[in-house]
Amino acid sequence: MWSSCWTYSLNLSSVPGDGDGQSRWCLSQVKGAVDDDVAEADIISAVEFNHSGELLATGDRGGRIVIFQQEQESKNLPQCRAEYNVYSTFQSHEPEFDYLKSLEIEEKINKIRWLPQKNAAHFLLSTNDKTIKLWKISERDKRPEGYNLKEEDGRYRHPSSLTTLRVPVFQPMDLMVEASPRRVYANAHTYHINSISVNSDNETYLSADDLRINLWHLDFTDRSFNIVDIKPANMEELTEVITASEFHPLQCNTFVYGSSKGSVRLCDMRASALCDQHSKLFEEPEDPSTRSFFSEIISSISDVKFSHSGRYMMTRDYLTLKIWDLHMESRPVETYQVHGYLRSKLCSLYENDCIFDKFECCWRGDDSEVMTGSYNNFFRMFNRDAQRDSTLEASWENGSPGCPLKTWRVCTGSRRKRNEIGVDCLDFSRKILYTSWHPQDNIVALATVNNLYIFQEKPN
Amino acid sequence: MDVEAKRIMAVSIGKLYSLRTQRGGLRLHRSLLLSMTMRAARDIYHTAQLLRDAEEEQVVPCAPDAATEEPMEISKDSPQTLTPKEVAVKPQETLEEDKENRCASERHSRKRRGKTAVEPDFLPLKKAKMDTDEEKQHLQGEVLRTNNGNSCRQAETLSAFPTNRAIVAC
Repeated sequence: MWSSCWTYSLNLSSVPGDGDGQSRWCLSQVKGAVDDDVAEADIISAVEFNHSGELLATGDRGGRIVIFQQEQESKNLPQCRAEYNVYSTFQSHEPEFDYLKSLEIEEKINKIRWLPQKNAAHFLLSTNDKTIKLWKISERDKRPEGYNLKEEDGRYRHPSSLTTLRVPVFQPMDLMVEASPRRVYANAHTYHINSISVNSDNETYLSADDLRINLWHLDFTDRSFNIVDIKPANMEELTEVITASEFHPLQCNTFVYGSSKGSVRLCDMRASALCDQHSKLFEEPEDPSTRSFFSEIISSISDVKFSHSGRYMMTRDYLTLKIWDLHMESRPVETYQVHGYLRSKLCSLYENDCIFDKFECCWRGDDSEVMTGSYNNFFRMFNRDAQRDSTLEASWENGSPGCPLKTWRVCTGSRRKRNEIGVDCLDFSRKILYTSWHPQDNIVALATVNNLYIFQEKPN
Repeated sequence: MDVEAKRIMAVSIGKLYSLRTQRGGLRLHRSLLLSMTMRAARDIYHTAQLLRDAEEEQVVPCAPDAATEEPMEISKDSPQTLTPKEVAVKPQETLEEDKENRCASERHSRKRRGKTAVEPDFLPLKKAKMDTDEEKQHLQGEVLRTNNGNSCRQAETLSAFPTNRAIVAC
């Protein structure tokens, strides 16, 4: 996949401030093949920065993980772009076959979550539909040389040639990055895993499928505790499934899960072993004037993310982004229309399956902005403080690299100004589902179908 | 309105069938959403059908609120407007099912037909096959089609179709 990887080299000149239709975001890098013929296996399905932002992991449908590392030199220079280069590539999951149910288990990486770093090695959890794995990524830049019994190439020496005894010493070698699976957490999910989330206690994590949420200890693979089970006794009575779940960033007893009905439940593990009774239910009453055949589908929560502060929570459904104050369950405190112009197109989007697309969302490090993807390779930024939003495009064709991105407007009328596009001209095959925001700097990474885009915001 | 509902029903059934051959096994979330949409469309369709039958036979209408249905338009500017009573809710479902049995007419028999009966054209083939055409469509260009206000194509008369539960228990 990354054999044909290429990167823009950008010469950044002085950047003008926020002008007319210009943002402060610039394209920094694009990773991936440039040809239009996309292999199914190369389609990116997960993007995640680690806790320091130094590493950026991507997963694809072929079960592979590619980790990029930020160059140390450019990181400290204020005006320089933060260049990410390939650090490690490994096959995380392979296709499997469930013989009992005669079902193939896809190797597609659904989620990647980093563990906070404790030592020189990096750890991440990756999951496909059925199995979660803990990977250790470590560097090796020295190797022992001067063995007594072996030659340098590994061949054993003849005993008669051994006349001296020496202590092997570590000599520098070319940097080698190794990824090794340390734990495999399998056979705990009947349905398809949609979320994993590491707890703030750094010892446990949760995994969620359509009907159940399990709690694991990182050290134990042979057992997990079921903490949520919404499977009805009679499956014909099923009305709701779990779509996303996350632990609170600070309170190790608290987690939330979103449902296909548009509600989010907050649970406290101290209340009981099985958290079927929620502590809080976040649900906004539906607006009856917008009811349609597709109301159920578009209200389904596709992603839920706590703010870094732990005070707020963000949910993404098909058309909107909602910010909730954890202290208020009745309605969100902020609602942002991502692409409201699609409301009148739901029937067509149902036919071409786009209505089932699951968009992720993410918070800026200081929680002042949020971001999510849309169609036509657009992504949406919402500035909560300034109550301003912008539509930007992930494209290496439009505009010159290094210059600030122009903002777009989607219009329904026939007249087109520059940087306006009609709703009917949107390309629904080009979509941004996966996004991640650097935890400290203003760098965002997002995935189009098979390319990874990295954007950087320029300071004034 | 009922033509649109029938179209959505047909699309939903087709998608539910194709879900079974998808790699990775049946997706519970998707099949739940599809079956909910299909049921909502089916209820609207049946309501409209009953109305039409009642009008033709000059009997008391079966569904009290069905007369206020409006066509669902898909246009660029105006959002879909459906008042809550037009969307079938679960209690109505059982009511209508009973009325289906009571209001059966000669032309539109609601009895499930045997295997030898002719099935509507829009139903996909029951023979399991690898259907990769849909997936290919996703990867290639997908431009939203404009329909110039005509939200549905000409559909054939629906005679009977299986109304078994759409979700296969995992």
